[in-house]
Amino acid sequence: MVEIQTLSKRYQVDEGEIVALAATSLTIGEGEFVCLLGPSGCGKSTLLKIVAGLIPASGGSVLINGHPVAGPGPDRAVVFQDYALFPWMTVNDNVEFGLAARGVDATRRHQVSGELLRVVGLGDFAAKYPHHLSGGMKQRVSIARALAVDPVLLLMDEPFGALDAQTRYVMQQELLRIWRGYRKTVLFVTHSIEEALYLGDRVLIMTARPGRIKADLRVSQPRPRDVAGDEFTRLRKQTLDLLSEEIARSMEQDSARAVTS
Amino acid sequence: MSGTTIERAGAASIARTPRRRVSRDTLLGAGTLIGFLLVWKVVHWLGLFPPWAFPSPEQVVGAFVDLTRSGQLPANTWASLLRQIVGVFLAAAVGIPAGLLLGASRTARAALLPLCRLIYPIPGIAWIPLAILWFGIGFKSTVFVIFFTGLWPILFNTMAGVSTLEGQYTDVARVYLAPRLFYVRKILIPGSLPFIITGVRLTYGVGWRVIVGAEMISSITGLGFMIDDARWQLRPDVMVAGMITIAMIGWFMENWAFDWLERVTIERWGMKTAPR
Repeated sequence: MVEIQTLSKRYQVDEGEIVALAATSLTIGEGEFVCLLGPSGCGKSTLLKIVAGLIPASGGSVLINGHPVAGPGPDRAVVFQDYALFPWMTVNDNVEFGLAARGVDATRRHQVSGELLRVVGLGDFAAKYPHHLSGGMKQRVSIARALAVDPVLLLMDEPFGALDAQTRYVMQQELLRIWRGYRKTVLFVTHSIEEALYLGDRVLIMTARPGRIKADLRVSQPRPRDVAGDEFTRLRKQTLDLLSEEIARSMEQDSARAVTS
Repeated sequence: MSGTTIERAGAASIARTPRRRVSRDTLLGAGTLIGFLLVWKVVHWLGLFPPWAFPSPEQVVGAFVDLTRSGQLPANTWASLLRQIVGVFLAAAVGIPAGLLLGASRTARAALLPLCRLIYPIPGIAWIPLAILWFGIGFKSTVFVIFFTGLWPILFNTMAGVSTLEGQYTDVARVYLAPRLFYVRKILIPGSLPFIITGVRLTYGVGWRVIVGAEMISSITGLGFMIDDARWQLRPDVMVAGMITIAMIGWFMENWAFDWLERVTIERWGMKTAPR
């Protein structure tokens, strides 16, 4: 489905070159829910943006169903952390945005948006503007907008990062419910261990910059997962051990940068 | 017993506080206005200025009545308003597309901004003599001056509005494959609207402030002409009546027309950040 081969990203800055992503390779199977977990600044969002086609890679390639990525395409949709809804459009028009951009006629658009708003539980909010909605509701709209264009790959960039703990938990369950219904392949970026283990079929742990895949954990525990159970606790411990090293390195990098600048 | 009384009194004062504050503010504002009229009246009564240079408030009211009856005030107000509307409309018609283009295209900025920055500091009034040579005395030259003065606020504001859209919204547009024209229509224009409205508001303001000067020099109608013409007749009451008309129209547009425009657009969308 998705094949990422020796993908790398370098940025030119005043002091020289920053390697955000170092020769990363991974494959994602059809219908898989893959979480990308790593310390802040490890390049996990960079990886997602390259797969989305929003930024070019410095080396390597991304293939989706055998086709190389050279920019955004109809096979991918992105859910952003800060929702990125258009405040001047109603909830309905936001959901229809991708279809309208593709020139889909109004009847069909309305049919799709009506169904998706029901699926995400916002059937009564179609005519409202985003600023009337809570953070969780906005992210539901953003998910509906992504699903409306029927992508094969759903890219989610820390979508629940701005939500409070309770809303976040509800949204995770909602996302799994929707995912079960639509069976999209998902690449989900997060920095929360619990979130990654609760959601993913696989959890990819990234190293501190330059980012690489450090470990590829398969979570075989059936859903809904018992976050207090032995199996989950064991996985969390294992993940935390793998990650804490990288978090420490990432913090060292930050303080080193703070000293030099 | 006493407990309930306190509670009730507390609830009543909470409910009443906002309304009382509004009426207090209104009273203060009205009080200052009345005070101003009184000082005006006293200065007139003391005779600090000769009567042909300093009208009393009643004389101004009388001038209002006379000028309205004779049709002079409505005709001149209409002449000024028409020039103002056409001038602001032309400034918006050129300034908004130009601002969108300059905001969206780096190449356009590099090519056009130096010229804009060079012309922008020239006061609108300085264009009047040239405008008269080009268009003659009257409607066209006054409209031209309003246009040239009003172009800049709307152009620079629109440009700033477009730059606020960079990043988030442009990423969404790219992800969902929005064609260029679709992007302009659905994102660029509505997204910049808070800035565009502020720009039109400023354009309207500077246009209305420059129109009087322009009409004094390049016109034989309009409120500016009426005020200037009153000088030759030693009619300060007519001048002040004209000035008050200008103030009232400006106040009405600022406080009603533009606020209404904001209410039906950016306020409805939750895009208005700070209350004015």
